[in-house]
Amino acid sequence: MWSQLDTGFGHWNVFVWLFFFVIISAFALWVRSLGRMDYKRSTEQDEIFWSGNEVPEDGADFSVPASSSYWGFRVAMEPLYNLLNRFHNGNASDYAGYFIVTVASIGVLVLI
Amino acid sequence: MNLSDHLPAFLVMIPLLGAFLTPFAGSFNRGTRNAFFVTFSGLTLLTAIALCLSTLNGDVLVYVMGGESFALTLPSGMTYPVRILFEIDAFGSLPILCIAIASFAGALFSLDYMDRFSGWKRFLALYFLMTAGALGMCATGDMFNFFVFVEISSIASFGLVAFWRDKPEAVEASFKYMLISQIAAMLLLLAIGTLYGRYDAVNMAALSAMAGSGTLERVAMGLIIAVLAFKCGSFPMHTWMPDTYAEAPSGVTCLLVTVSQASFYGLVRVCYSIFPGLAAGGVVAWMLIALGVMSMFFGVLMAVVQHEIKRLMGYHSISQVGYMLLAMGVGLLALGSPEAVETYGRAAIRGGIFHSVNYSFYKALLFLCAGSLYYATGTRDLDKMGGLARSMPWTAGMFVVAAAAISGLPPFNGFVSKWMIYESSFAVHPILPAVAMITSVLTLASFVKVFQAAFLGPAKAKFVAVREVPYGMLAGMAVLTVMTLLLSLFPGWFTSGFFESAVNALVNHQSYVRAVMGGM
Repeated sequence: MWSQLDTGFGHWNVFVWLFFFVIISAFALWVRSLGRMDYKRSTEQDEIFWSGNEVPEDGADFSVPASSSYWGFRVAMEPLYNLLNRFHNGNASDYAGYFIVTVASIGVLVLI
Repeated sequence: MNLSDHLPAFLVMIPLLGAFLTPFAGSFNRGTRNAFFVTFSGLTLLTAIALCLSTLNGDVLVYVMGGESFALTLPSGMTYPVRILFEIDAFGSLPILCIAIASFAGALFSLDYMDRFSGWKRFLALYFLMTAGALGMCATGDMFNFFVFVEISSIASFGLVAFWRDKPEAVEASFKYMLISQIAAMLLLLAIGTLYGRYDAVNMAALSAMAGSGTLERVAMGLIIAVLAFKCGSFPMHTWMPDTYAEAPSGVTCLLVTVSQASFYGLVRVCYSIFPGLAAGGVVAWMLIALGVMSMFFGVLMAVVQHEIKRLMGYHSISQVGYMLLAMGVGLLALGSPEAVETYGRAAIRGGIFHSVNYSFYKALLFLCAGSLYYATGTRDLDKMGGLARSMPWTAGMFVVAAAAISGLPPFNGFVSKWMIYESSFAVHPILPAVAMITSVLTLASFVKVFQAAFLGPAKAKFVAVREVPYGMLAGMAVLTVMTLLLSLFPGWFTSGFFESAVNALVNHQSYVRAVMGGM
């Protein structure tokens, strides 16, 4: 079977997964069909609710920028990120230094 | 004369011819120039496909340049092969195929992407040179020519990264890459010189047959491993990668991804085929595992917080290379014991090779998607993008395929190769798959952010006029999407047909030696 794979530890068949997705999708569509049927396109029901405020015309005024994503994660990991940012300081001399130090370390390790 | 006998020579000759003919083609009109670009890239791809198919049954193709016969590796009276020699086995043919496909996709993409810029002569010549250099790295059978091809691809890439000379960031990225690359090149040459001084030979098969375990061999091997780990973007020598990938034109970045895989190929070849006695089962294997784990984890940590799309993807490249290093390190660790090879070694090597092929396609596709976004919006800053799925549905669709694949979501190919790596590395230590899984989760988080920021959300007024990118660019992306989907739908066929032969070629390195040295 072209789509089937035995890794030596387990078994994988992509079409089993695709079949699973089809079943789940069919179930989701069935649940959706049980919902309210009185929705009307192009009426006020279509409008964005923005905490009761008037919605700005330009999407740029109320979209979440990528920099704000995972803010909590970044704050929690701030000490590590400070270290990593210092490492990636953009200085070519430092970068060459990291390379030389790594080469030297590998050189020492292979001689052990 | 049977043309198929000369496929290894055509593989490098076609892109080199393309590079040397470029000064004439550059004077042609747009249509002729585009036809020239696509024809030479397409011919290279056809040659790579033919080569790959001819190595599937385990044959090792050998081609000698300048001898009385192209198949005569050891003329009478010679102990070692001395001519320029190409040697391609099932493992070597895989990166060759990936490079040729990425080069073809990048060429299709660049037809429209680069159309509004001048300097086509330079662009075409450097593009073909980089392709020839990368293909040569995977085809050559001797270390000195390997060095030459590394330099050809590196020098071409310095020029291509700095192609937009009016952008200081591009010139700076190219300079940094050039600075460290040249130090690396000197160390590589020093290592090859050391081996030549010791054995009077630079042929890989001859070195494999003769290599001992003395101090000189260890130092040479250590230098080569360090240089090639740097070239494929391993932590902590990865610092050139995000800048370089971000600033190069996207068609070039697509090819750079596979050029890094040519270095990865060299690294694996050195450990598995040239110095298996020194590298297997010991400190070198653990070193690769450590480099892999650090690359995976720190690469993805840096990627999560980026908001410049190509820079973010550049950090993900480091993380993905980490998976491959981990897998090949685990395989190398097992190589010391026949029992371990059968228990988890072959699975690890298979996973590493599978992931390398997957990475070549989905990562190249992601960079082309990023290029499409830049082409349409004029920015690479995710903070400024948004709501583009409505106006760029094809790009959005292909981005979803690539993002799901790199994040390891079932049923995509990235899941299958990562799964093989998880399983096999668990046999060494449970912490290894744990780090790999955390990395995969963070990769998913990162690409969810990219998709949300670029394609979802309310439409922005400044992007009202944005339309889907031209057909040429879509065609380039479609080639890589099709490859990603094929690998997702038929992993069993690719594994039994391609990857298993490559695993056999690495585990039984004697076949690589015998193809050149005979019954020695």
